[in-house]
Amino acid sequence: MTVVTRIAREEWRLLLRDRVAISGLLLLVLLTLVAALNAYEHQRSANAERAHYQAQANHAFEAQPDRHPHRVVHYGHFVFRPVNPLAAFDPGIDAYTGNTLFLEGHRQNTANFGDVRQSSLLLRFGLLSPAFVLQVLAPLLLIFVGHASVARERESGTLRVLLAQGIAGRQIVAGKLLALSGFAGLAVLPALFALGWLGVSGHAPWEQALLLAVAYVGWLLLWALVVVVVSSQFQRGRDALLALLVAWAVLVILLPRWLPDLVNTSVPLPTRFESAINAEREYKELGDAHNPDDPYFSAFRAQVLEKYGVTRIEDLPVNYKGLVGMEGERASSALFNRYAEALFELQRQQNALVDHFSWLSPTLALRRLSMTAAGTDLENFQRFLRQGEDYRYQLIQGLNQLQVDELVYADDTNPKKENRISHTHWQAFPEFEFRPAPPGNVLDRALPAGLVLLCWLMAFAMLIRVAGTRLGRMAR
Amino acid sequence: MKLLSNELRLIFRSRLSSCALLLLLLLSSLAVWLGLQQVAQQRHTIERLAELQQKDAEAVADRYADSGDAGSFAYYTFFNTWDPPSDAAYMAMGMRDVAPYVLRIRALGLQAQIYDGETFNPELALPGRFDFAFVLIYLSPLFAIALLHDLVSGERQSGRLRLLLSIPGAGVLWRRRAALRYGLLFAALALPLLVGALASGTATVAIAVALLITASYLAFCVGLSLWVSSRGWSSAANATALMGAWTLLTLVLPTLANMAITRSIPVQQGVDLMLAQRETVHGAWEVPRQETMQQFFEHHPQWRDTAPLPEGFHWKWYLAFHQVGDESVAEKVRAYRTGLEARQRWTEHLGWLLPSVGAQAALHRIAATDLTAQLAYQDRIAEFHREIRQFFYGYLFTDKPLQREDFSSRPVFAPRATDTVSIGAQLLGVMLLGGIVFLIGMARLRWLDASGAVSKRHHSRRVEADLAVIDRVA
Repeated sequence: MTVVTRIAREEWRLLLRDRVAISGLLLLVLLTLVAALNAYEHQRSANAERAHYQAQANHAFEAQPDRHPHRVVHYGHFVFRPVNPLAAFDPGIDAYTGNTLFLEGHRQNTANFGDVRQSSLLLRFGLLSPAFVLQVLAPLLLIFVGHASVARERESGTLRVLLAQGIAGRQIVAGKLLALSGFAGLAVLPALFALGWLGVSGHAPWEQALLLAVAYVGWLLLWALVVVVVSSQFQRGRDALLALLVAWAVLVILLPRWLPDLVNTSVPLPTRFESAINAEREYKELGDAHNPDDPYFSAFRAQVLEKYGVTRIEDLPVNYKGLVGMEGERASSALFNRYAEALFELQRQQNALVDHFSWLSPTLALRRLSMTAAGTDLENFQRFLRQGEDYRYQLIQGLNQLQVDELVYADDTNPKKENRISHTHWQAFPEFEFRPAPPGNVLDRALPAGLVLLCWLMAFAMLIRVAGTRLGRMAR
Repeated sequence: MKLLSNELRLIFRSRLSSCALLLLLLLSSLAVWLGLQQVAQQRHTIERLAELQQKDAEAVADRYADSGDAGSFAYYTFFNTWDPPSDAAYMAMGMRDVAPYVLRIRALGLQAQIYDGETFNPELALPGRFDFAFVLIYLSPLFAIALLHDLVSGERQSGRLRLLLSIPGAGVLWRRRAALRYGLLFAALALPLLVGALASGTATVAIAVALLITASYLAFCVGLSLWVSSRGWSSAANATALMGAWTLLTLVLPTLANMAITRSIPVQQGVDLMLAQRETVHGAWEVPRQETMQQFFEHHPQWRDTAPLPEGFHWKWYLAFHQVGDESVAEKVRAYRTGLEARQRWTEHLGWLLPSVGAQAALHRIAATDLTAQLAYQDRIAEFHREIRQFFYGYLFTDKPLQREDFSSRPVFAPRATDTVSIGAQLLGVMLLGGIVFLIGMARLRWLDASGAVSKRHHSRRVEADLAVIDRVA
């Protein structure tokens, strides 16, 4: 047995006799289990509920009677955002985003009925999830358990004895680190089991589950390093404890809350209200299909007439009204998409700014890594909105196409005539299915945050070497 | 006075204490400043949008004034509604970052409009706002722990404990020290709050209540710290126990409670009512129009004896089926609302057990930024929507053309006057918890013995005193 493992074993023996350490560990494991079961159950029931609503909405759409296609354009469709399986580990922004998106013609709606507006402010205390337990609580436990690891030896004078026996400072520090890492390993174990089960059973892509596992192991290792480094710098255990608690409060609680708030005020987002007004104004400026002299639609008409080689719209083999609808939808969707993408871009800028601060607090890097890997970040939500919009566009244009092909212009412009097409058309539309990002894409996006975390780890690995060397030198 | 200033000097001589106090003062000032800034930003946004909206409405008027067609006006005119931040909102921004405080509505079905969200960045909203509520609820306990965890053990570790205890009336000394620290912590929180109140012209009652909440919550934290410090443990053990308690009270128990409340009070009725309303509204095209009108007249008999529907399309039918759609889901709307209110109510009940939750609920109530305030805004929108409908019905059902000057007399939204907040029970809960724990903590300081713990000899007396304290408070 080497010196390092012997020191580690001694430390372990102490840890196992420490009431705080044992009860803290048990509490943490219990919390992880409760959190994992709850988050899994929540994810399952939310998905079941949304699948049920999706089926109901699909059925309602397909069971429509014979209708004018433009009625169906306004009747619209509902799509529901499924919860990614790894939300059972880190729910991320799931509660803060709507899950019900109403799709209709000429409009882009918001996703509504997110939990955040349907809960009391209790939700703002956070959601109990395995990720929360490991991000916030586990470092605290490591601080409680390990703050005195080196300082204690110094305080009681045993450090001198150890060094006098020819044990190097580095070996002492390494032994303490080994012991604390082992303890951290116990703390992370239930979460690893949960992730392993999610990955192996095929509930979630194994690559992403593995990434989460690696990230959280790295996170706790980082804290074990921090704790041992700080402990070796102080004369007394209580001072080390205070310093560590301050570091924890600043890095885990204060900065991850304050920095996003700063970003939020420095890069303001436009309200939906003004975006809607501006988009509508631009839309009106495009042209008015009802005005026969409108330049935009006159040009469009001329183009259509030329294409079919006729001189009057009544002579067209297709329903001109439907064509105008399609053109209007194309133009308005392009306009709305421009606004939506501008907003996405602003949000991305905000997040990138926050990400820069992960050099200041590694919690931000871990949170980014965790949410990205779990597929519960903003990127994933925007993905849903985009896919919803694509689906909406295909649906509306499909309905407009039906108006073009199935209805005759003369009938369609006659207010006295009921123009309906067969309900069988509604069943021909494909159903919406959300496609989460492929694991490769997820890993790519998680890479920068992973690198930042790795840098933090390497920095502290370096520091601990320095601390070990200094420890040895000081005793001489 | 001399004693007090001596103690004060002692506190500020300790680097940890003076740094901690200064930092708390800085953080709460920063939080108040950020809060004021956000309130100003929101007020500015509301004003800016009102102008924008005015222009938009003018454009509608330009387009349809000649036609006099009230239906087109009804269909195309949006009305702006807004929920101005209260004069105490700077303390606790609450839900104002995730729920709209400006919303455009028009005369069509309200249920398809009122749940629309606001654009915000969910990743930034996730960690929560950095406002005074955060500093009070999360950070101030940490500072109380920093200042008080070694109140007794620090003296023992430096070897002064025996000397201090031998002074007659040592109990008074400890309590003076504790009270002084409490006072300083309170000042560090309250001063920025008061400055903020002056800057935003907060009503006296609101600021008094906010100060009471601050004092009570801080009293709880200080009392708990004293309770633990008087047990004779080492400083490190005290800090560990107190941080453990803090973690439980602000991080673990509230999230567990949230989990329990969310699971036991489901609110999926929101989606249900949206789906149902849309079926009724669009189903109207399939049913005989007279049938829809009959349904409409049932709730609105004042229009029953108006001209019958003409052959072709008429806007009054269009608006009527939208209203019938809203009315058909009234039951579901009520159920949804009941669910939301139940969630809020249970959170408030929880405040009797968890001071963190109690203080949070009470502070956000005073700031009018909680779920209750959101629902009140929705109620106000619904009220205004009724006015809009009545306005257009007056033209549509009498076939009176709507002229430009009629349009300028359209209803204008008036936000609910800052509602007189009823806060009794929530405040009482926080005060009671804070008061009891504070008095117990203080009472225990009286019977410290040489080991720095409450002596065994006084054990029974201590229990009696604790009980007496509880009696007095309750």
